[in-house]
Order: sequence, then C-alpha cells, then structure tokens
Amino acid sequence: MTLTTILAQQLVNGLVLGSFYALVALGYTMVFGVVKLLNFAHGDLYMVGAFTGLLALSAVAGTAGTSWVGVGLSILLAMIAVGFLGVVIERIAYAPMLKAPRLSILITALAVSLVLQNGVLTLSNGQVLAFSPRLGFAGINLGPVFINYKQIALAGTAAVLMIALEFFISRTQYGRAMRAVSVDRDMSELMGIDVNRVIAVTFFVGSALAGAAGTMAGAYYGSVWYFMGFIIGLKAFTAAVIGGIGSIPGAMLGGLVLGLLESFGTQIPGIGSEWKDVFSFSVLILVLVFKPTGLLGKSEQERM
Amino acid sequence: MALEPGSPGPQSVEARPSAWGGLLAILDTPQKRGIAIVLILAAMVIAPQAFGPYATVILTNALLYTILALGLNVVVGYAGLLDLGYAAFFAVGAYSVGILTTEFGWNFWATIPVAVIVAMIAGVIIGGPTLRLRSDYLAIVTLGFGEIVRIAARNLQITGAASGISGIEQPWLFGWHIARQVDFYYVFLVLAVIAVLTSVRLANSRLGRAWLYVRHDEDAAEAMGIDRVRVKLAAYIIGAIYGSIGGAFFAVNLTAISPQSFSFQQSTLFLMAVVLGGMGKIPGVILGAFVVVLGPELLRDLGSFRYLVFAIGLLLIMLFRPSGIWPAGGKR
Amino acid sequence: MNLLKTSAVASLALALMLGTAYAADIKIGVLVPTTGGQATYGQDMANAVQLAMDEINKAGGGNTYSAVVGDDACDPQQAVNAATKLASSGIAAVIGGYCSGATIPTLKIFGDAKLPFVITAANSTKLIPANPGNAFMINSTGNDQVAKALDFWKAKGYKAIAIVNEGDAYSQDLATLAQKSFTAAGGTVPAFETVNHGEQDYSAVVTKIKAANPDAVFWTAYDDDGGPFIKQLREGGYQGDIYVGDGSTSANLFKLAGDAAEGVYAFSSPTAEFLPDAKSFADAYQAKFNVAPSSYGPLTYDGMKLLADAITKAGGTDSAKLIAALQAEDYKGIAGEITFKPDHTLGRSNFVVVVGKGGTWTLAQ
Repeated sequence: MTLTTILAQQLVNGLVLGSFYALVALGYTMVFGVVKLLNFAHGDLYMVGAFTGLLALSAVAGTAGTSWVGVGLSILLAMIAVGFLGVVIERIAYAPMLKAPRLSILITALAVSLVLQNGVLTLSNGQVLAFSPRLGFAGINLGPVFINYKQIALAGTAAVLMIALEFFISRTQYGRAMRAVSVDRDMSELMGIDVNRVIAVTFFVGSALAGAAGTMAGAYYGSVWYFMGFIIGLKAFTAAVIGGIGSIPGAMLGGLVLGLLESFGTQIPGIGSEWKDVFSFSVLILVLVFKPTGLLGKSEQERM
Repeated sequence: MALEPGSPGPQSVEARPSAWGGLLAILDTPQKRGIAIVLILAAMVIAPQAFGPYATVILTNALLYTILALGLNVVVGYAGLLDLGYAAFFAVGAYSVGILTTEFGWNFWATIPVAVIVAMIAGVIIGGPTLRLRSDYLAIVTLGFGEIVRIAARNLQITGAASGISGIEQPWLFGWHIARQVDFYYVFLVLAVIAVLTSVRLANSRLGRAWLYVRHDEDAAEAMGIDRVRVKLAAYIIGAIYGSIGGAFFAVNLTAISPQSFSFQQSTLFLMAVVLGGMGKIPGVILGAFVVVLGPELLRDLGSFRYLVFAIGLLLIMLFRPSGIWPAGGKR
Repeated sequence: MNLLKTSAVASLALALMLGTAYAADIKIGVLVPTTGGQATYGQDMANAVQLAMDEINKAGGGNTYSAVVGDDACDPQQAVNAATKLASSGIAAVIGGYCSGATIPTLKIFGDAKLPFVITAANSTKLIPANPGNAFMINSTGNDQVAKALDFWKAKGYKAIAIVNEGDAYSQDLATLAQKSFTAAGGTVPAFETVNHGEQDYSAVVTKIKAANPDAVFWTAYDDDGGPFIKQLREGGYQGDIYVGDGSTSANLFKLAGDAAEGVYAFSSPTAEFLPDAKSFADAYQAKFNVAPSSYGPLTYDGMKLLADAITKAGGTDSAKLIAALQAEDYKGIAGEITFKPDHTLGRSNFVVVVGKGGTWTLAQ
C-alpha cells in the first residue's frame, strides 16, 4: 500500500470512529448545557443501547430479518428504549440533586454508571455477546480506498441524526427552550418555560442518540459487552470538551477530531497504537491551554 | 471548583435531623470530642490483635485510602479543583520507589524525598495548564494526565511495562524489618494520623483561608491580594505530596506494582471517598475512605452481586444525603 | 444382595471413621476471578476444582476436601485482599491463578503463609522470578508457548509477523517474548501493536497491519477482544494467516469472530476435545454444571488431583513436605504429564497447535 492509500484509509477509519464519538459527545454536551452536569452514566447508556439493540434484533429477526431493515428497526427501538431510560434516570437520580453541591451530582452520576454497568454485568454474566447482523462485506471503491456499505450506512445515519438534532435545536420550540435554559435557567423559568419538561426532553434526546450509537456500534463491530460504555464515555467526554462543552457543533467537531487524531496517531511512527491515547490527550491539553473553552466553545466571562 | 452562587455550601446547609445529629449532640464539647478520638485511636491500635490478619489487611487499605483521600481533599475540597486524575500522584510515588529500589538499589528511606520531589514537579506540570480553566475542562485535563501517566507506566521498560515492578524490598527502620502485614498496618496508621493533623493545620492556616476565598470567588480573592496561581499550585503540590507518600508505602507494602492500580477507576474511587464522606470535612473524608474500602469487602460473600449492591448503596446514599454522609456543619 | 450392601456400607463407614481419625476434611483455597470481565474463566476453574474434589471425596479411603473460593476480580489489590483472607481461613494449600498481573502480588502472601500454590492458568514468565518457592505453575509458560510457535512458524516459512497485544501483563509478556524469539531467529516484526481492552475499533491497527503485509498476525491477548479483532482483520482485507495465544482459545472466539475464525490457528493447552482421557471429564463436568468446560478446566482439574496426590504422598499437609512432594511429582493427568523443573515450571510443555474449522478447534499437526 502506498502512503496516500494508507493515509486515506486512516482518514476513513478516523471519520467512522469519530462518528461514534460525535454521537455520544452530543448527548454529553446537550445534558451539560441544560443541567450543567457531567453525566458519567452517559457512556453506559450507549452500552445499554447496544444490549437493547441486540435484544431488539433477535425480537424482530422473525419478521424483519437481520439485515438492513432489521438493524434499522433495532436502532429505532433502542433509541426509544434508551431515551426513556435516560428520562427515568434523570427523574430518579438527578432531579432531586439539582440543589446539591456540584461534585455530589457528579458522584451520583458515577453511582448510576456503576449501577448500570454492574446490572448489565449481572444479567449478561460478564460475557461478551456476539451481535451478528447480516450486513455483508460489500462496498465501493473510492480511489485507492475500499469503503464498505456498513461504513457508509454508519456515517450516513450519524449524519442524518446530527442534522435532525441541529434542526431540532434551531427550529423547534423545544429546541429554543433548551437553548434558553442552558443560557439562563432561572430566567427561562420566569419566562414561563417548563424547565422540568425541557430537561426531560433533553435527556431523552441525548440518551436516544447514545442508544443509537450503541446499537450501531454493536452491529458494526459485532460484539457487546457490559464494559464497553466506559471507554466510549471517556472518549466522548474528551471529544465534547475538545469541541467546547455545551456547544452542539462543537461536540460533532470534537468527535470527528478525536477519531482522526486516534487513527492518524496510530499511523505516526514513534507514536503508534501504544501511545495514541497519550497523543490524543496531549493534543487535548494543548488545545485547552491555548483555547480554554475548546475549539468552538464560547468564551465566558465567569471563571469557575 | 467553585460552588455555584445560590447553592448551599458545606457550612450553610440546614442541619438534617438524623442519628448523626444525635451523635454530634453528645459530642458537643472539645473534651468529649477528644475522648472520642482517643477511643477510636485505641480501637485502631488493638484492631490487628482483635480482628485478625484479614481485617488487618483491609484496614491497612482503608488507612491508605484515608491518606490519599485527604490529599485529594486538599485539591478538591479546600481549593475546589476537580481533579479526576489523582492516581497520577499515587503512581509517581509508587514507581519512584519501585524503580530506585529495584533498578538502582537505593535504600527505601532515601527514595521518599525523591518520590515527593518528583510528585511536586508533577503537581506543577499538571496544575500549570489548568490554572485558567473552568472546572469541567480542568476535570478532563487532570483525567488526561492521569491516563498519560498510566499509559506511560504501561509502555515504558523502566517501569516494567504492563507487568510492572515486582520484588520491591521491604524497608528496615532501626533494626525493625517492616515486612509483616501488621507492621505495615501500624506504619499506615501513623501516616494517617500525620495526614489528618496536617490537613487540620492546613485548613486553619492562611493558605487554607486563601483557598476558601478562591473557591468562592476567584476575582474577589484576587482583588484582596491573593495570588490565584500560587494558591492553586500549592493545592496541587500538597495533594501530590500526600499522594506520593501513600504511593511509596503502597509499593513496599505490596512489593509488586503494576499499571492496573493507577487507572481512572482508582482516581474515581479516591474522589468517591472524598465526596461520599462529605467533601472538605476531615472526619467525613476518613469515613468516606473506609466506606469505599470496606464496602466491597464486607459484601464479598455476595459474590458477583457485590459491586451491584455497592453501587446501589452508593446511589442511595448520594440521593438521600447529597452533601455526603457526614452532616454539614460538623467539625472541619 | 442386601447383606452385601449393608456390610459394604458398614465397612466403608468403619473405614471412614478410622480414616477420619487421621484424615479430616482438608480445606483448599481457590483464587480465581469470579467477578469482572474474566469471570467465566474463573468460574470454570472453580467448577473444575469442585468436580475434582467431589470425585476424590466419593472415591474415599483417604482425605476429604472442601474448597474456599476467593475472588481476585483480575485486579492486583483485590487479589491481595482475597489472598489474605484465604491465607487466614485455615486452608492447607491454594489452587488457581488466572490473571498473571493479579497473581504476582499474591505469591508473597502465600509464600509468607507457607502455603503451596498450584497455579493452573496464569503463565506469564514474570511469575517465575517472583516465586518465593511455594508456587508451582502447571500451565506452560510464555517461554514454552513461544518455542512452540517458533517451530510452527519456521516450518511454515514465515518471514514477517505482526504481533498485537492488549497491554496487560499476560499478553504483553507473550508478545514481547514472541518478538524477541522471532527476530533472533531471523524474522522481522514489521508491526508490534497495542490495543486497549474493551475498545472496539481496531481499524487503525488493521490498516497498519495491512500496510506492513506480514505473513501472519499473532494476537496474544484474550478472546473477548480477539474475536472482534480477527473479524475486523478479515473485513479489512487481510489475507494472511492469523494466530492466537492460549488466552483466546475459548469457544466464544468463534461466536465473536464468526466466519473469520475459520482457519485461525491457536496455541492451546490441551483442551478437553483432544485429550483422550478428557472425555469423561468433559461429560462429568457437563452433567454437573450444565455447561461445557472452558479452556482451563482440564488443567485446573488436574491441578486439584495433583495436589491431592501430593498431599497423600507427603503424608499430610505440612507445607515443607508438601512442597517437596509437589516438586518430586510425576503425575499423569488428563491434560498431559505433570513434572516440574527446578524453577517450578512445567517440565514438559503441553502446548498444541490447533486450527479453527467449522466452529471448533481441531489439531493442526
């Protein structure tokens, strides 16, 4: 393989990986924007989405088969299920905590994460389960690079979801309400916005995105595991911060940037796969040193 | 991390009626508190004989966590800096000792100053970039550093790569070979007491007050003449010192260290100990450390359920006592 | 017939009573991960110990055994806690050890407590220098595995091999050993990669490997990530041979890798399928636990029986005598013959090379 081919392939790898990071980062950033909470449990919602998708696929296998239609249905079902789970978690665990010190909510989120992880661990016996949709290996050749249909579908779905989200935020009433609450919560309440409703919707949408990403990851990579949310949560958190936490386009950008950093980092001699995470974190730190609010973050006056 | 304006700080939450309230009501004078402390210390001293070797190991672990939680408490509780990568300092201490004793044959006691200095430097390196950052960005940067340290330990030959360093020699002190579990128990007990006393002195010092002001309102603090940069760096450096000393003794206690012990999960355990007990309040932090260590151990009989039970328990505690187990307004 | 039965029972009871006069119930500690990602292996090993104990106890005429299980959760600190608890539970010896990284710090604890430790799965070479003298490793070490691999690869005429590990004590040790031996024998390792446990996307590493175009790829870590990795290797278009180490030989690899597992080679400690004597073990295991035994079941079963045999030969559970008895053992188990070198590693490597065909492993040679 020539260098251009390799780099082109790594570009594709990075974009695919980045799409997952972006989808999960979006949920993180949305929730943060509205509730100012770093939801540690968000990555585990991705994991629950993957398991739900697996269950959904076996459920619809009879009627819709396990190919594209079946997978598509599973994604939809997982989105709805995980969306609701997110709202339930918010109602039970976070809503009562909103007046508590910030760190306490953080630890609560951590506890929720542990409950989800260990709950699924117990149910799945710690096993890595195979997710086997029939999606085939066919694809197209784009220049020197082979892109299979799964990757196209993945990137396409991610793009559709992100565009839908952007539309939701900027054009709909709920979207406007969300933006208002994220800027000034008390003011929004005074203006008549049902803040609790808005928060619930935010959690639903953010969690649904994570659930979609989880199911897609399960179908794409072929396996689901109780621990898979931990790493993605960390990466998505990093991505959201790179892009500027609280900024939706920032999360998308951050996700893609992180995915590309990891893929190209693996390729760079001297860094390789051994040091790629160090590489990514170092870039993150450098970005934040020179732009403390992330790539697209708004420069805020308050320093907390 | 500053508390949001309008949210209750640790000193101003309304007292919750509870069993704790009753307990604190009994211990209302300094003399009574003093007696309670003496009793607790006495119990700790006879614990190994009273409860056996297994309990000794677990309690040693709890004391280690106490030291580390108190160190993190300086960074998070006093200075308000959300550090998600505290295990990095722990690792620096442990590996400094491991490398110097096994590769270079140093005496353990000589390695401690080196471990502390290296950790202090690490504190400056980690703290430096975070000075201008908002709390959430600060969190991810510290997390990033934590991971960088762990991955470096995993990749480098000098740290033993993934297998870590084993065969660390256990130290001698004036003819006393600190090698048995019960020896380390007493060593950690002494260290924990020193850590507590140091934390108390810090809290009541000028630096402690400076942290308080910076935590509440950085700009106002600056206007009052407090150098934000120095105060924050001091917090990291002091936290690093606690961490590295804990790590140093951890290394000779286990005689084998590997990157697994310095993961992000470890950092979150330290943070849990601090917040669970009641962030900023020393007795609460100690309690939190014990809960985090003893919880999974006491539940050992539940087998694979024990982490789930622990997690649910943790969640319930946070929901019903969001300022931590220790009641607000308790002794600082 | 009734008279015969009654007298048989009576004599058995008499024998037992006399027997128990100098052979009471012996407790054996079992240190395995029963929680966490490796729990299925740990549980499998604990089951194998139990099966062995039941058979020994049923056969009667000597000591009876019971197990005390300690969970190390594949974590060093947890392992230390569990080991300390076991060491003060009145056990005569310990069996187990799956994750090398977690097992290493426990060696000293058991050594200080003078407890013989039969390690039936963990096989990192780093265990050898850390052994205070009471531990015996009955799974061939990384050295043996690499020696076997080298022979096989030389026979195949490979010039370049890519090696992938997961950055944990076991897989990294195996990977480094493989790299050293292969390059010392004149080959090249154009790609030596580390992936994170649980991180599902291996595309960047796959691309790198494809670009390096080695004759074979050697995955040295466990099957939970190995399966997906193999899948992605094939999906990415890699056509060369694929090898996995003994940590990836469970049946789950086939489920996770799907068709990609066809033709994959593995270095394995003998599993129940290939051992002529192991069929009865596998059947008994299946009958008792309703699931097939996993990779380390046979070895652990052998380990328990070896221990019992050594205890009988040593005439008791005195640790010095027991250690000497273990050292001198020449035991024929279902997984092969067990003897020990002076450094307490297996005298003769028991590794075989297997290849995946139709969803299971078959012998490759």
